[in-house]
Amino acid sequence: MNKKNNKNSDILLRMENIDKNFPGVKALDGVLLTVRKGTVHALMGENGAGKSTLMKCLFGVYAKDGGKIFLEGREVSFRNSKEALENGVAMVHQELNQALKRSVMENMWLGRFPKVARFLPFTSEKKMYDETKKLLSELHINVDPRTVMAKMPVSQRQMVEIAKAVSYDSKIIVFDEPTSSLTETEVEHLFRIINMLRDRGCGIIYISHKMEEILRISDEVTVMRDGKHIATKSAKEITMDEIIRLMVGRELTNRYPEKAHEIGEEWLKVEGLTAEYTRLNDVSFTARKGEILGVAGLDGSGRTELLENIFGISARRSGKITLDGKEARNRNARESIRNGFALLTEERRATGIFGILDILENTSISSLDRYRTGLFLSKKKMRESTKWSIEAMRIKTPNQETKIRSLSGGNQQKVILGRWLLTEPEVLLLDEPTRGIDVGAKYEIYQLILDLAAKGKTVIMVSSEMPELLGVCDRIIVMSGGRKAGEVDAKTATQEEIMTLAAKYA
Amino acid sequence: MKKLTSLFLSLLIVTGFTGCTQNNAQQNSDSGNNNSAKIGDVSVFYYTYSDTYISSVRSAMDKELKDAGLKYQNYDANGNQTTQTEQVQTAIAKGASVLAVNIVDTGSNDAAQNIVNLAKAKNIPVIFFNRSVDESVIKSYDKCLMVGTDYEMAGHMQGEMIGNYLVDNYNSVDLNGDGKISYVMFKGQEGNLEAIARTQYGVEDADKILTQAGKPELLFYDEANQNRYLVDQDGTWSSAAATDYMGTILAQYSENSNNMVELVIANNDEMALGAIAALQAAGYNNGTGKTIPVFGVDATQAAQARIADGTMTGTIKQDAEGMADALVDVTENFIEGDSVFDGIDEENIVGNWRINIPYEKYTG
Amino acid sequence: MSDNSIMPQGKFSAFRELPGKDRKRILTDALFNNAMYIIIAFAIIFITIRVPAFLSLSSVVNIISLTASKLPIALGIAGCIVLTGTDISAGRAVGLTACVSASLLQIAGYPNKMFPDLGVMPLWAVFLIVIAIGAVVGLVNGFFVAKFKLHPFIVTLSTQLIIFGTILMYLMIGTNNGQTLSGLDESYTDFIRGTLFTIGGVAVPKYILYSLIITILMWIIWNKTKFGKNMFAVGSNEEAANVSGVNVFLTIVSVFILAGIMYGITGFIEGARIASSSASTGINYESDAIAACVIGGVSFVGGTGKISGVVIGVFLLQIIFVGLNFLSVSANMLYIIKGAIILAACAVDMRKYLARK
Repeated sequence: MNKKNNKNSDILLRMENIDKNFPGVKALDGVLLTVRKGTVHALMGENGAGKSTLMKCLFGVYAKDGGKIFLEGREVSFRNSKEALENGVAMVHQELNQALKRSVMENMWLGRFPKVARFLPFTSEKKMYDETKKLLSELHINVDPRTVMAKMPVSQRQMVEIAKAVSYDSKIIVFDEPTSSLTETEVEHLFRIINMLRDRGCGIIYISHKMEEILRISDEVTVMRDGKHIATKSAKEITMDEIIRLMVGRELTNRYPEKAHEIGEEWLKVEGLTAEYTRLNDVSFTARKGEILGVAGLDGSGRTELLENIFGISARRSGKITLDGKEARNRNARESIRNGFALLTEERRATGIFGILDILENTSISSLDRYRTGLFLSKKKMRESTKWSIEAMRIKTPNQETKIRSLSGGNQQKVILGRWLLTEPEVLLLDEPTRGIDVGAKYEIYQLILDLAAKGKTVIMVSSEMPELLGVCDRIIVMSGGRKAGEVDAKTATQEEIMTLAAKYA
Repeated sequence: MKKLTSLFLSLLIVTGFTGCTQNNAQQNSDSGNNNSAKIGDVSVFYYTYSDTYISSVRSAMDKELKDAGLKYQNYDANGNQTTQTEQVQTAIAKGASVLAVNIVDTGSNDAAQNIVNLAKAKNIPVIFFNRSVDESVIKSYDKCLMVGTDYEMAGHMQGEMIGNYLVDNYNSVDLNGDGKISYVMFKGQEGNLEAIARTQYGVEDADKILTQAGKPELLFYDEANQNRYLVDQDGTWSSAAATDYMGTILAQYSENSNNMVELVIANNDEMALGAIAALQAAGYNNGTGKTIPVFGVDATQAAQARIADGTMTGTIKQDAEGMADALVDVTENFIEGDSVFDGIDEENIVGNWRINIPYEKYTG
Repeated sequence: MSDNSIMPQGKFSAFRELPGKDRKRILTDALFNNAMYIIIAFAIIFITIRVPAFLSLSSVVNIISLTASKLPIALGIAGCIVLTGTDISAGRAVGLTACVSASLLQIAGYPNKMFPDLGVMPLWAVFLIVIAIGAVVGLVNGFFVAKFKLHPFIVTLSTQLIIFGTILMYLMIGTNNGQTLSGLDESYTDFIRGTLFTIGGVAVPKYILYSLIITILMWIIWNKTKFGKNMFAVGSNEEAANVSGVNVFLTIVSVFILAGIMYGITGFIEGARIASSSASTGINYESDAIAACVIGGVSFVGGTGKISGVVIGVFLLQIIFVGLNFLSVSANMLYIIKGAIILAACAVDMRKYLARK
């Protein structure tokens, strides 16, 4: 170890003047990123700013068109993520790519199963189990290595993914939106892990949209916009407003739009809702016309189950739903739609979008009866509705024939919201409507939700981001352990109050 | 709904099993009196139930075995040698008294030898039938026998029939008057001894007769085709294959362009009928107007009907009843311990290891 | 097949201004996206140069006839593939319906008539019967796939066996003894392979018309009905379809029933076209049909496919079959070429779904 004590010695990763061109688009334009040993470096920017592209260039998923990458002073150019891993550069992905039907430990050791002995081609279950167990307990993650992935909630799967990245003894770990599916306590847990890694001398690249987190955890912040490097600053010297200004290139005065909707008469009544197979137990509440009702709670508290049960896609043991004085039995999605309900699901990719179909098809699927002329569907009517939806939702897309999977998360979410609005619902059930969406788009979604309420719709919104619930909703019910723990007024409630309720039956 | 589904499922399973038991019951009642110390089924292995000719043999066998009061069990290999070998193993394990095997794989001796070895170990007689098994295999076990046809004979007879027909009707068959007859040959399957022999002799023997009568040899319609035959790609000797081929040929070769195919030879009647379907679509072989002579093998009932109405010219009859008769005779001889060839026509016995059931020409 | 990534004509100057690398990429994309058309064009040109008669009227009519006879079954299977499934009972279903059609439409007084006292049934009645048989096969397939979430491969593997056993039993009825069913009434054969019209001395068989009608109907069903849209949605993302209010169960069952009806129609046509139906009728029909769908871009990824693609796929397979016969190429080569084309087509197809690197 040379002790030149020069400033560059603590630089772990340096990406210089990275260029990347896609046909007709300059995705990256001379981007600069420097990550120091033992620091957390936040990478910020709206969706489409080039954060993911930059990371993909680092991991060799994309071949960069220009620029150089240095890892500990040595120029590198990884051809794939495996090569990156072998050189100590790991990534925790936002969209989990895990073998869901296999166990935790198998996922952990995928691609490098420990062998019984060096020259024997048999994998050692025991070694695998012990190593995984050791690692998980080091990170205080309470998961049995033999659990099958699919049986765990998203948040725990995320923790496994993080443990996996750590297990590679990586020098650089990239976290891409790691908290989007985590609850508050789990976020705390994650931060403890990150701090531990920082103390070990790792360089952390932290990509997130959540300002509070960024300012809490990071040492340095790099902001990108439109494929360009905008600024790199110390986290101590920068404010939330400044970051937002750098990201959007303009002042964003408010994170939540003004409320202008009026709350009407009592509209929806849910009594004693109990699920057959999930832990949802005896939940009752009412919601008014034009009201935005928030549902808070920890992950696994029954928030999602509540919405799914109201919508009839999970089995109900007992309970009664009344809309406008009439019973809505909602035994399946079709019946619920007919009764005026709509559900925006939590996992957009798994249960929301039809990836290989285009915008028109994704928009019109729930309201096909509207486009009937005689026996057949009228393409013209479908186009008109889709056009309306694109304009009303301000969806950014080249045309209606674009495949939905090529849109950004925020735009995908708007397409699905548009799909539901075309069914002319009375009650909108929104499960994490802003997950994985950047700041600018979030604001637009909030605006859409408020507009809907202003039109007299009842909105029930689940979110794990408490500021969002407090900022958008009128009233919040708090779930805990499958039961309703309480109800608060969003105007007066505090985060602490909600957290206390959330822990009531947990 | 859930109850309904499970009810439905159980019903399905129950019907499945009762179906089987019913069959068994039938066979048990067929068995009648036990006529020897040897207990166990006569196990008959068919290479595939789909084959029309084999179906005739099967119904004749069922009848003969029933009449003889023998307990029996049929197996369908569905054209798969592995399946058949496993079936033989099962039957042996079950304690079969005699194995009658219509072997699937005729391309090599291995499969047949394997079955012989299995039977030999348990001292169970094996009678191969219909599809040919090599002499060396049969002779490797004293309780083994072949009841077949002289597999080359069908081809020879078909050739002879075609030759004679052409000598008698040369000018009317030679549509373009060039003095030569152009023909197409449909082969049922690659690597099958019978198909190979029929493809070869059907033409060679006809040529011999034509040459003797001072006529030129037959000419394959497509000179560039080195094989001198078209084969069913799926190896199922199917009529559909012949129809598609014939339709394609007729799109290129016609009377107008003076190169019409003047003679159709097929390895079996199915393919002959398939060719006729395509010819009919092109305006031939409708009973009125021009008829292209079409020859097959098997004399299935459908082919006989075609020959009767004049849209097909000739076929070679394989005697299904005769084969079943001989098979059951030999089976009984084995069971009762009589001399193996008891009751078999002497002129049909070949070299003490084989019985050949004669073919017949069939022209209506 | 044609994708929107092909440059519009008017933007040619814009295209020329693009950097060389992008231009090359756009061109290769266009090449790949239209690979099937290009292969067909090359095949036709090549064969025609070697054997000019390939493009003669009678030859063209023959290729179209062959395509027409193999289209309905492929159109049926295509729906199952859109659902990310498959149907390997198709060939046997064709066999069964062909045998039933033939047996019910034998000439009165035919010596080996399966139902001697039946006379000749009216065509429409037989047509309805075989369609009903096909629909029942589809119903069983679809029910087990949709209700028990079994993979269609397993379900149809089972039904295929059940159908085969049924065919064998059916052929044993009366004095038939498993014999080939032949001696068809003229009303039947004429209805199927009779002359639709004559063009330049070449007779065009009627079943081409039927196949055309079926293709148009299927196009309408796929593109213009709620059922069609639901089918693509279920094939693309079953869970999302359920949440979106699509009746997934009904959609899956209907797709299989529709496929079954197509097999019934194919059987009805094949019964008269081949004019001799036996237990081996229809064997392996499904493998060509599945190959045709895949070649035509009906992907096992699910949720994508076009009727035009299926037609192109069937057409290409027939061009290969006829072309190699015209070229006097041995059958051995046909297997190899067919295999290579299916492989290439799937690879080109998958290319569209893989992320660009």
